[in-house]
Amino acid sequence: MGSHISVDELMMIVALACYTLGALALLMFFFTREDWLRNLGAPLAIAGCVTQFAQLIVRYELTHIWPLLNLYGSLSLFSAMSVAIFIGFAIRYKLWFAGGFVLAMAAIFLAYGVTWNEGTMPAVPSLQSYWAKVHVPIVVSSYAAFLVAFVFSCIYLVKYYAERHYSSRPAGPLVAAGTPANFAGAHASVSYSGTEQAKITRDTPAIAAAAAMGNPTATWLTSLPTLAQLDIVVYRAIAIGLPLISIGIITGAAWAKEAWGAYWQWDPKETAALATWIVYLAYMHLHTRNNWRGLRTNWVSILGFATAIFCYLGVNIWISGLHSYKM
Amino acid sequence: MIATRSSLDAAYDNVVRTFGNVLFAVLLFLVWGVFTIIGVVVDQGKDASAYFSAYPAPIARALIRLGFDNIYHSPWYVGIIGLILLSLAVCTFKRVIPARLPPLRPVKIDKIPLNASVSVRGDEAGVRAKVEAFFRNRGWHIRNREFDGVEWGFADKHNWARRGVLIAHLGFVIIAAGTTIYWAKGFSGDAAILTGQTAEIPQTHAIFHLDSFRYTIAPIATKSGMVYQPIDYVSHVTVTGKSGVPKNYTVRVNHPINVDGTLYYQSSYGFGMRFLVTHDGKRVPALSDRTLKEGDTIDIPGTQSTIEYTRFVPTVDRVSGQPSADPRVNDPATVLNLFVGGSSAGAALVPLHSAIDLGRGWQITPNRYVLYSGFQYRYDPGIPLVGIGALVLVAGLIISFYFLPARLYVRVEAEAHAQTCTVGLAATTVKGYDIFETQFRELIAEFTSSMEPPGPSAHFSPAEAY
Ligand code: HEM
Repeated sequence: MGSHISVDELMMIVALACYTLGALALLMFFFTREDWLRNLGAPLAIAGCVTQFAQLIVRYELTHIWPLLNLYGSLSLFSAMSVAIFIGFAIRYKLWFAGGFVLAMAAIFLAYGVTWNEGTMPAVPSLQSYWAKVHVPIVVSSYAAFLVAFVFSCIYLVKYYAERHYSSRPAGPLVAAGTPANFAGAHASVSYSGTEQAKITRDTPAIAAAAAMGNPTATWLTSLPTLAQLDIVVYRAIAIGLPLISIGIITGAAWAKEAWGAYWQWDPKETAALATWIVYLAYMHLHTRNNWRGLRTNWVSILGFATAIFCYLGVNIWISGLHSYKM
Repeated sequence: MIATRSSLDAAYDNVVRTFGNVLFAVLLFLVWGVFTIIGVVVDQGKDASAYFSAYPAPIARALIRLGFDNIYHSPWYVGIIGLILLSLAVCTFKRVIPARLPPLRPVKIDKIPLNASVSVRGDEAGVRAKVEAFFRNRGWHIRNREFDGVEWGFADKHNWARRGVLIAHLGFVIIAAGTTIYWAKGFSGDAAILTGQTAEIPQTHAIFHLDSFRYTIAPIATKSGMVYQPIDYVSHVTVTGKSGVPKNYTVRVNHPINVDGTLYYQSSYGFGMRFLVTHDGKRVPALSDRTLKEGDTIDIPGTQSTIEYTRFVPTVDRVSGQPSADPRVNDPATVLNLFVGGSSAGAALVPLHSAIDLGRGWQITPNRYVLYSGFQYRYDPGIPLVGIGALVLVAGLIISFYFLPARLYVRVEAEAHAQTCTVGLAATTVKGYDIFETQFRELIAEFTSSMEPPGPSAHFSPAEAY
């Protein structure tokens, strides 16, 4: 018996291949900044994302079953939405350099989702509701926005700790040899006119100084956006995710009211979603404070993503409750 | 007297200071989180014995005494939520309103990280008019005020959105109010009704008669084996509500019915069982005419024995003789437990219509199964408020995140000799300076080029915000 592959499975393989190759290209772009790598990776990201959405539509057309009601479908939407939101950011704010991480995570979540593919399954009665059609995509999209925020928080923290590392070290051999004039010269030659270079010098002076002295790692670090810019990207991603998860929780509550009688029953999924909501709400509140914005809020963003993934996958897989529809 | 007043004032100040601290609010949320995690980890609403069998005795006792077996209704839980709301209220009045709605006042322009000064040819009044026109055309709201003889201009964008935070917080408070209403006035419960029988709902006095219950289960071959997927559960009921007129309804999952404002939901189903009980070959009507639900028992008269109808098995596997996973009724059986003098004497899988001998002339035969349908009901007058609160909350979030209120401070100063003015501009937003830097630069570049004759280019200060 030859193995029989359906159209939707084939599309899934294409999407996975696009993400994997795109992730490789963009990861190399991240480290080398060779433009051709971005020009290769970006179209692959877009192609994979489009294929995935098409795959979901094809699956729905073939089975007439809303495809998002099991982990296979929802993880597929999760990775597609993560890539889609990232593409939006990449185009709008020129952030392709981070795409390798997003695509790699999307590929991993998607590949994991494929292991949950059980073929066609009609929905159990409690899932047969129009609320399923709004609630699931909204919640999954919020997780996707949080994934994008997570990636930029990680990059923020790498750059932040690199800056700390360079500023705590006695500056390189040139200074040690008693030529601080060089250092000052490099600094002074930067004009404060709002160029990227000037912003980086202001934002991470130790990295800029080390780069000026030819340190290759520091030079590479200066090709990343400034800490302030990275922080704003994270804020913007969470500003997409937080309203979405709020609406997600509300539509979930409305659905629960219809299916189970009570809009809130402290079932583990609800509780975990509320915890996620609160972590990101804490992020937003702390982000309004100058001394928390940056280092600490980005740690909160990472905590938030861990909470979100626990809420999404941990609860489904480890904890049984009204929401564990994994069978 | 005065001393007490001032110490009261000091206490009040302390409370306000503590509750007005955002970090304190975060701490409260953390404590709330810990309670909630306990609620997830410890099974809620079980009998005391369940905790004693799951945990060592001292822990079980502590759990029960602290109310952790019903944590979401414990005084701790309600208390912490009360403190969170108090903190929210204090923060709103002491921090949010002053910070978000700053008064119009003069500033030291060059002390604000986002600032620029531009030279513009023309006299003071003319330049001022040009500057105003520039910003007004771009949707800024202009106000002028005089402070100590100096004229200041204030240009605001999305000023209304400064209230977004207030709206979000208000939404949260409305939700809290809605849930309190349920807590005070609502109720909920469940009822299991056998086919053909009638039950009265204690709180509403509605009378339910279950005409029929039906379920559909589809066997589906998946990659990891056969799965029996429930497709539908339907109850047909006749309900007599306040009007006194019986009415027919169909209750399905996701399709509750509303009787006099209380909602009734399809929540479960099960199999009642009628047993034929005989003594010396003669039917014993008192025991045979009952329908037992799973968990019900029959005491056998004149003996120490009790029979429990433990569980219904819809299908017995013909090959192994064991219960199969198929929830559809094919070859049904019952699991019966025999207790003698209160302790278990063993369980048996008894197919329908097969008799088992209990000794001393007693025999029992599972005879006929009757479906029952389980309903949940709930009366929650707080729902409209919770719904409104949720909408208000989301609106507040969207306003706060997508409309960035910014304020420009504008000062026009005539140069002493030339026919030129210096326009000083500084920008603040509710979310720091970084987020507005690019827009500010673009705005100033546009401003500079639109002020004719193209004067000397703008002088930006280094934004020390970084
Ligand atoms: C104990 C509870 C809370 C306290 C004490 C609190 C306090 C505050 C304070 C002081 C600010 C203004 C920060 C500033 O402008 O400097 C703020 C902003 C905000 N709050 Fe809350 N808040 C609480 C709960 C909530 C909740 C439940 C929501 C959800 C709807 C919420 C949504 C917001 C939003 C959206 C902002 C604006 C954030 C931004 O502009 O980036 N808050 N909160």
